[in-house]
Amino acid sequence: MRESQLMFLQYLTGLLVVVFGSFHFLLISVLSPSPDKILYAYSGTSGAHVLVGGTLFYSWVRAVYSSLIWGSVLELLLTFLVFHVFNGFRVVLSEIFPGTRADKIITYALVIVALVVFIWGSRTVVLALNGGF
Amino acid sequence: MTIENKKGWIFWFNPFKYGTDRWMYALHRLTGIVLGLYLMAHVWETSNILNGPVTWNKIMVDLDYPFGVHYGPYILSAILIAASYHALNGIRLTIVENGLLLPKPYRPEFPYKPKSLKGLNNVLKLAVAIFMLVICGIGIVFIFTGAIV
Repeated sequence: MRESQLMFLQYLTGLLVVVFGSFHFLLISVLSPSPDKILYAYSGTSGAHVLVGGTLFYSWVRAVYSSLIWGSVLELLLTFLVFHVFNGFRVVLSEIFPGTRADKIITYALVIVALVVFIWGSRTVVLALNGGF
Repeated sequence: MTIENKKGWIFWFNPFKYGTDRWMYALHRLTGIVLGLYLMAHVWETSNILNGPVTWNKIMVDLDYPFGVHYGPYILSAILIAASYHALNGIRLTIVENGLLLPKPYRPEFPYKPKSLKGLNNVLKLAVAIFMLVICGIGIVFIFTGAIV
């Protein structure tokens, strides 16, 4: 792809990440399925740190992941973010290491890492949607 | 064709000759790299949801109490500050770099100060600062107390 097309996609995915990232931030605060909207609720005993509730408690996170709508939002956010992040890394790295050869090495290396992150994240979303382990 | 990168990345952070645009560029890069690395850690961290409630809850507690100290809220606040800066400055860059909302073209006149770097750009920089204060204020209060303002 041409550099200008990639930069256009960088702007586009950036704006989409802002939209879907806002949903993600609302999801862990206002729209959280847990009755108390805090992130962590610990049991009263001090020093032990036993998680007993809050948005990040296992069952509430499972409730989010088993919803098709939130699953789709997270999957789309992951797709846009992976492109935006790794194209950003590519731009930064090819400015530090200029040249056609370096460009190729950087691009192929980052495509592999990006695919690993994308597949690993999609695996979480899809398997959790289907009931997990 | 190889163009030598003579000054290297450390000169991102030599903004003294240039002004606020250069500072914001340096911070945009820095927060971008930090958030990119955070994304990879976050994808690994959330993939533990497939390993059952005991593992998940243990990892959540370990991340809230790294090295046994309650650093979790500070880390989340730092991520929120970086993310809100990168997002808001990104919106500003999308508008300014694409020449949206600019004045009509005009003949260059001495002393050749480009209008594109004045006016709207300064308003948008102020908007970035104001929205950042609002978002980070609400967010950090939520992270530390759980209160939704």
